[in-house]
Amino acid sequence: MADLCRSSTFFSDQNLCNADIIGSSEARARIEVAVLNFLKILNSPSPAISDLPLISRRWSNSRVNRGLLTEVSCIFLSHSFCTRSLMRPNAAKAFVRVWKVVEMCFQILVQEKRVTQRELFYKLLCSSPQYFTCQLQVNRTIQDVVALLRCSRYSLGIMASSRGAVTGRLLLQAFISETVDCSACGSSGHAISGDMNLLERMVMKTDARYIIVVEKHAIFQRLAEDRVFNQIPSILITAKGYPDIATRFLLYRMSRAFPDLPILALVDWNPAGLAILCTFKFGSIGMGLEAYRYACNVKWLGLRGDDLQLIPEESLIPLKPRDLQIAKSLKSSEILEENYRNELEVMVQSGRRAEIEALYFRGYNFLGKYIAKKIVQANYV
Amino acid sequence: MEGKRSSSQRSDLLRKIREFTRSILDDLSIGKSPVVLIDRFRNYCTDNTGNCCCSSDLSKGKEILTLQRECHARRLDVLLRVLLIVQQLLQENRHGSKRDIYYMHPSVFSDQSVVDRAINDICILLQCSRHNLNVVSVGKGLVMGWLRFLEAGKKFDCINGPNTAYPVPVHVEEVKDIVSVAQYILVVEKESVFQRLANDKFCNKNRCIVITVSTYFVQPSVKINFLTMFFCQGRGYPDIPTRRFLRLLVEKLHLHVYCLVDCDPYGFDILTTYRFGSMQMAYDAKFLRVPEIEWLGAFPSDSEKYGLPEPCLLPLTAEDPELLSDKRKTEAILHRCYLQQELLHWRLELELMLQRGVKFEIEALSVHSLSFLSENYIPSKIQVAEGV
Repeated sequence: MADLCRSSTFFSDQNLCNADIIGSSEARARIEVAVLNFLKILNSPSPAISDLPLISRRWSNSRVNRGLLTEVSCIFLSHSFCTRSLMRPNAAKAFVRVWKVVEMCFQILVQEKRVTQRELFYKLLCSSPQYFTCQLQVNRTIQDVVALLRCSRYSLGIMASSRGAVTGRLLLQAFISETVDCSACGSSGHAISGDMNLLERMVMKTDARYIIVVEKHAIFQRLAEDRVFNQIPSILITAKGYPDIATRFLLYRMSRAFPDLPILALVDWNPAGLAILCTFKFGSIGMGLEAYRYACNVKWLGLRGDDLQLIPEESLIPLKPRDLQIAKSLKSSEILEENYRNELEVMVQSGRRAEIEALYFRGYNFLGKYIAKKIVQANYV
Repeated sequence: MEGKRSSSQRSDLLRKIREFTRSILDDLSIGKSPVVLIDRFRNYCTDNTGNCCCSSDLSKGKEILTLQRECHARRLDVLLRVLLIVQQLLQENRHGSKRDIYYMHPSVFSDQSVVDRAINDICILLQCSRHNLNVVSVGKGLVMGWLRFLEAGKKFDCINGPNTAYPVPVHVEEVKDIVSVAQYILVVEKESVFQRLANDKFCNKNRCIVITVSTYFVQPSVKINFLTMFFCQGRGYPDIPTRRFLRLLVEKLHLHVYCLVDCDPYGFDILTTYRFGSMQMAYDAKFLRVPEIEWLGAFPSDSEKYGLPEPCLLPLTAEDPELLSDKRKTEAILHRCYLQQELLHWRLELELMLQRGVKFEIEALSVHSLSFLSENYIPSKIQVAEGV
């Protein structure tokens, strides 16, 4: 596999490592190839237990791709490998865990079924108790398998979920189903499917002028209920916190389908809010190989430092220790642009944060007016 | 209460707000220090004689707030300010969340909990539910199956896709025209179990309605770097709209309701929340609880009965740095009065859990076969419960 990669440096984006969305038969084929390769080397004149080459998900293998002709920068993983090896005593178990998960996934694919991560944990706990003791190990091993076989977890038979919701001036049609008008979906909006295959084939139509990414469920619900998307012709999308892949994928598809629509983020003024914005904007190495791809040109609408004059001093609340950890992580990322970096610095120095709800000090109507004014003034970075 | 026209309720409440404020003003104008009486409610106590009156919906005593005590004066100050905000919400027929209200006077409302208590006090004083004050929260419920209803004019045709999750409406008072051919309602604690049932197309072979609350969330791991994210699952405590919706379905459809929770103290606590209500919302328990709900599983005795492998039986925690340990929590639940005289079957199973010192999750039942839950466990339990 490594040889194949090195030999085909034909395209400029060959450095980008993808997790493909593939069907069950191809996933099984990839597993079979991995097993056969392993056996081949084991059976060769100079037999050896080959190491497993996994795309490294360490910081050191992450690169920043700064868009040249586009404004989209993203983080991606290059071809640096880390290995799982049976020969290193401390890492031997990790090596075996990868094969155990591969085996389990193969069985599930053969049965044409799907499994949740927790179910997978219990199956592995029972079949190989000496190798699996907790859910985190299973999650990490799944990421290893994704990095080994270069396909998404969903392709391996693991159920997909999404927390995302979308509302506003968007018509969605999934394959053969009827068209969904997201503006008529009530205050919860239309739930985003976890099925990436389905999302990939979705046909989208809009007459909106903006896409607004909302960090929090409560704000999304409020804006949906007040039908802000009619006052400012827009699509609202939320992941109710840190985004899952499906929500990011849908946003990415929207950014490709409607390239003229600015994508604006409405987040709390704190490191976590900024981290959420950055995940939508640049991608994430987390959740395995698949998560970094769907970077979009997201701009920061609010809350920003200069909005703090709109709210009273008492509305600012102290930063939590976790916020400081997140800030530290963000600061060390080279992808963070200067003005974002400056805002982050102000947050940390002040030791305070502000929630979007703080704008309610100025009355119920204020949030809608605030958003409209900022958009009209193109006050986003 | 759900059936009444919302406008008459709003005007009733506005009238009550005026009357309440007036009574305080009247007292002050004659030089009398106002006294505000707030009823106390609870769903359970630790009385084991059977003589407590927790099962009735009567108040258990009153709290007396006077201006003589500084803490009471502050509490009344907060209450009146929140009341003013509520009055505006009702007059303009707008909605706000508890958090929104906090931010309207952050200097006076030192903390969110202060606002939360004021809202509860107001509900008790005005004898209404929180949604009547136009104070709303986000909806977390999911529903699928053989059900059709309207919400604020929008059609929810769950029957079209009986294995697709639909969000439970937040404004349950707007739900009308409920139509169903279901034979029962199944409430599952966690979204992952709901997903399993959807994936197995459970509702194709079983004509029922399945309800859950969304429990998945994405957690960044800051240990490595924030870019590592995991999909995690939280606890399945039901939110208010889901509890109201379930209650509405039971009232309209008169179906049996079965509850499937993890076999651990939190699962059991979630079951009691559905059945008896939560302590925080005790004043509104009459409209939130579903006394008809039955515990379908998982029972501690199921682990033997269904041959659950040993590694799936996790130990009950004896110590916990942050919360109550499993053992302490189970003991606390066993002391609740409603487990002393009635529901002996529940009590016995809970005692068995404590005795064995182990717990297990629903997902463990899928170890031998992924379709075991949908094809064996649930249908056979339902058959027994329905007396078929």
